[in-house]
Amino acid sequence: MLLSVRNLHVKYGNIEALHGISFDIDEGEIVTLIGANGAGKSTTLHTITRLPPPEAPRVTEGDIIYQGKSILKMPPHKVVSELHITLAPEGRHIFGNLTVQENLKLATYARQDTDNIARDMERIYDLFPRLAERRKQRSESLSGGEQQMLAVGRALMSGGRLLLLDEPSMGLAPVIMYEKFRALKRLNEEDGITILLVEQNARIALQFAHRGYVLNTGEIVAQGPSEQLACDPDVKAAYLGG
Amino acid sequence: MQKYSFKALLLAITVGFVLAVHFQLVDQYVTTVAMLMGINIILSTSLNVVNGYMGEFSCGHAGFMCVGAYVSSVLSVLLFTKDRVFGPALLPEEFAVIGVPVVILIGGVAAALAGLIVAVPSFKTRGDYLAIITIAANYIIISCLENMDVIGGPRGFQGMKRVVGAMEDVWDIPWMPVLVLVGTILSVWAIRRFVSSTYGKGISAICQDEVAAEIMSVNTNKMKLVAFMLSSGLAGVAGGLFAHVYGYVNPQSFNILKSTECLVMVYLGGMGSLSGSVLSAIVFTLLIEALRFAIPALNSLAHQLHMVPASYEIGQVWKWVVLPLILILTMQFRPEGFMGKKELSDFFPFLKKFYQRLED
Repeated sequence: MLLSVRNLHVKYGNIEALHGISFDIDEGEIVTLIGANGAGKSTTLHTITRLPPPEAPRVTEGDIIYQGKSILKMPPHKVVSELHITLAPEGRHIFGNLTVQENLKLATYARQDTDNIARDMERIYDLFPRLAERRKQRSESLSGGEQQMLAVGRALMSGGRLLLLDEPSMGLAPVIMYEKFRALKRLNEEDGITILLVEQNARIALQFAHRGYVLNTGEIVAQGPSEQLACDPDVKAAYLGG
Repeated sequence: MQKYSFKALLLAITVGFVLAVHFQLVDQYVTTVAMLMGINIILSTSLNVVNGYMGEFSCGHAGFMCVGAYVSSVLSVLLFTKDRVFGPALLPEEFAVIGVPVVILIGGVAAALAGLIVAVPSFKTRGDYLAIITIAANYIIISCLENMDVIGGPRGFQGMKRVVGAMEDVWDIPWMPVLVLVGTILSVWAIRRFVSSTYGKGISAICQDEVAAEIMSVNTNKMKLVAFMLSSGLAGVAGGLFAHVYGYVNPQSFNILKSTECLVMVYLGGMGSLSGSVLSAIVFTLLIEALRFAIPALNSLAHQLHMVPASYEIGQVWKWVVLPLILILTMQFRPEGFMGKKELSDFFPFLKKFYQRLED
């Protein structure tokens, strides 16, 4: 078990957003959390990474175990630099006035294994050829989809082994979306990167992931292998449009 | 060779200036203005770390200068000279030669610790709210000192002239010009090293996007702590130098007006431009001195032309109309400052060969 979330209760102020959810991710898996707006998907990711500060959600009960240790007390920058859990956030949060290459270089800020940086950079350009074409371009001039690719690239450059993706399909043209998901699939299969994917687009998420959990207003209402969830009549009715 | 020519030039100017002062080729007034220039350079470059590079808005810089000034003054009077309140010197007066630079540094450390008043709230507070906290910090520091009767309270504190005198007895060189020069060069060097290092880039990352900074594993709280403490610590060093140059300090000389001066220098020069801050500190000091002559001239001219009532004198207080006006006009017409985020070497590429290139 790589990451295990156990009976997690989370509050924003006085309002409980997660009412005791539990799920597991094994090394090398792609797991997806699907659900409607306000189901608690992003809250789950923000609780794991404790980002964005300072409005980070407050855990009232339960635990998050990563590689056998509780990570609830860990500061956000160490979650990245020591545990190698990285988030590609929904609002992309890239540095707009820096070039693509500079953004990727910056992500290596806290990395110790400097020898591997050049290799990882090449790998990202190999996976996302669009970024390679635009490596000298200021990143605010990229399209939305390219900026999202850059956010994923940056998460990898900071040494991520567990990649948390918040709504990677949002606002993307289908052709770009499929290109991006193909690259992510390669990343998982060829580089062994574990992925936790949070998605509203249940159809593509279930095509892409090995297993899924369905989140509804702060509770997990269904779980199982993707093919099984995709055939589940309730899930179909609620999230896949019948 | 090119690499060293800039340093050689700097050294030549430094040595030339010190020699000129020593052999009294320049008069006392010019020397004082030059020292004030150095102190202003330290103030503006150090405030630029927080207001420019980190993008926070600190407007209580003079408060930290005040801490540095008082701590170093009290220590140097206590240790190196006979005083009415503190009694005889604790150390032989000759030690002042090494002691005073050390004491000024201790003043800087004390100011850096005072910087925690602002740094710790900055973990959770940003923007306007943090600005209010910095103003409050400025007032807290001044009020504390005004109520400490043992070091003079609102009357101020003096005795540093005797210490500087003792230094000159040991070795007759112009000590204060030398210390100010060394202090200025070292602080600008330290800030340049800090903001251009990979570690220091963390504060630029915070400036642009705090979440993104955390994602690339910048410890944002620690970086804020470092930036605020570096900035206030150097302000403390400037304060210590200021106190020893004038030989007299008073809490009210570090009030919000002094902080405003620091802000004017930073915003005039350009946020995030180190050479901009240095240049604007120089221009600003000259401007203040020019006003010192221009205002009486304006006054007599206005009286000759009967433009103001005979009973009214245009006094030096009008300085406090001109300086904020400069700030307003800068914000209105060139909000990024005269240099913007650029350095001098971006405008004059030939200067680049004087610097070692750090990138690629």
